[in-house]
Amino acid sequence: MADPRRPGKVARYKPPATETNPALEDPTPDYMNLLGMVFSMCGLMLKLKWCAWIAVYCSFISFANSRSSEDTKQMMSSFM
Amino acid sequence: MKNLYIFIAVLFIPWSFSLAKYDEFEDGDDIMEYDDNDFAEFEDVSEDTVTESPQRIITTEDDEEEATVELEGQDENQEDFDDADTQEGDTESEPYDDEEFEGYEEKPDASHSKSKDPITIVNVPAHLQNSWESYYMEILMVTGLLAYIMNYIIGKNKNNRLAHAWFNTHRELLESNFALVGDDGTSKEATSTGKLNQENEHIYNLWCSGRVCCEGMLIQLKFLKRQDLLNVLARMMRPASDQVQIKVTMNDEDMDTYVFAVGTRKALVRLQKEMQDLSEFCSDKPKSGAKYGLPDSLAILSEMGEVTEGMMDAKMIHFLTHYADKIDSVQFSDQFSGPKLMQEEGQLTKLPETKKTLLFTFNVPGSGNTSPKDMESLLPLMSMVIYSIDKAKKFRLNREGKQKADKNRARVEENFLKLTHVQRQEAAQSRREEKKRAEKERIMNEEDPEKQRRLEEAALRREQKKLEKKQMKMKQIKVKAM
Repeated sequence: MADPRRPGKVARYKPPATETNPALEDPTPDYMNLLGMVFSMCGLMLKLKWCAWIAVYCSFISFANSRSSEDTKQMMSSFM
Repeated sequence: MKNLYIFIAVLFIPWSFSLAKYDEFEDGDDIMEYDDNDFAEFEDVSEDTVTESPQRIITTEDDEEEATVELEGQDENQEDFDDADTQEGDTESEPYDDEEFEGYEEKPDASHSKSKDPITIVNVPAHLQNSWESYYMEILMVTGLLAYIMNYIIGKNKNNRLAHAWFNTHRELLESNFALVGDDGTSKEATSTGKLNQENEHIYNLWCSGRVCCEGMLIQLKFLKRQDLLNVLARMMRPASDQVQIKVTMNDEDMDTYVFAVGTRKALVRLQKEMQDLSEFCSDKPKSGAKYGLPDSLAILSEMGEVTEGMMDAKMIHFLTHYADKIDSVQFSDQFSGPKLMQEEGQLTKLPETKKTLLFTFNVPGSGNTSPKDMESLLPLMSMVIYSIDKAKKFRLNREGKQKADKNRARVEENFLKLTHVQRQEAAQSRREEKKRAEKERIMNEEDPEKQRRLEEAALRREQKKLEKKQMKMKQIKVKAM
């Protein structure tokens, strides 16, 4: 069998454009981020401790599900 | 462990606080004895009173925080009060200034009455207690968080190990078939990185390129979200398995025009609804593959019977039968454009771009509880992929098949144009109106009245011509109709 490799015909990797197919993206980290913010605001304004705890959990879940391309600084700030 | 230390430290503080208070009183005792030589006859009494009063002094001079000490003091003193009943009275207050402890004499009286009435222990509010129970909510939450973090680390590592096990098993086969194995698109030159691209804690990519027939192959290892505890719990209700998705982009000249899919019935039904090309070209429901010797679990979706015949050769059937439990879906399509896009009416003006693609989705055996060894069992499937690439290149439709395929594609395009006809008309109409408006504006802006008149006349003439043309057309149609 001849060598099927063709070094001359190499095509570069192009990350699939996520703007054209938003359905392929997993919305979980974004939702969790938003929920976390909402709950933390709630907890702060209404002085409900359980709200603050849920906010912490949400930010953890968002971090676990996030894509590696996102900024770690953003993650840390959202965790705050 | 850290929590334990913090907690012990927290308990330490009030305890040392109370100790300090006792120290004060010990010194006080010495001083008092020194001063009380005159009342040596009351030494026994004074000792008792001295021992009693420090505790009482504590109770009066205490801050609110020393509630536990207060309680303890009261409990201990119950017996003391009973014993020292007779000894109490004026002799207590004598060693000290009456003024200092004015409100004080009531206390022993109160305690007198208290000893007669049943002691009611006042409920100290929860936030003043320094015991475990007041913090149970926090402890619970922190334990939950710790569990989540542990699960995150364990899940991440497991996914990592699985991915690398897969890659190590398949590396040889890939390197013998592709010139470029592993590319993240960022480096200037196209050199094999030989590594997986980690997109996520549960998704790994690998791009291979440089082979006859195909432009490139993207392999996606879509593992379960083992790093997310919520997902792990959800999976206990609904078992799922890791998936390996392979997308081969074919060169235009290396694949003929057909749409074909084979896979589990459930997967095919779902794909037929979701995928643009399968829904348009394969209108029938998935047919059972039993006719070709495939197991019952697999079904076939095809554009034409001829394609199925051509695709289902002996080797392919062998592959599909032997590894039927690992195959989720296999799709060969020259009109692949991804899943159906949910677009608004106004935006759908052009057909989405299509590419000649071969798509494979495999389920990793173990349905969630996979070990790195299971990755070896996926190696024959990769051989199937390579075989399919070569086959797709070799397979050509005969004349009839080609005609049918071309007709199908023309039909789909026509349908699409009809759908968008209304939109395109509206778009053309709006464009014409825009032109007219622009012209009118130009005419209005012309300062020279001469030019204005001329432009207006020109516009009028153009309109007249158009009307004439329309009339001519109508006449022609009438003539034809007759």
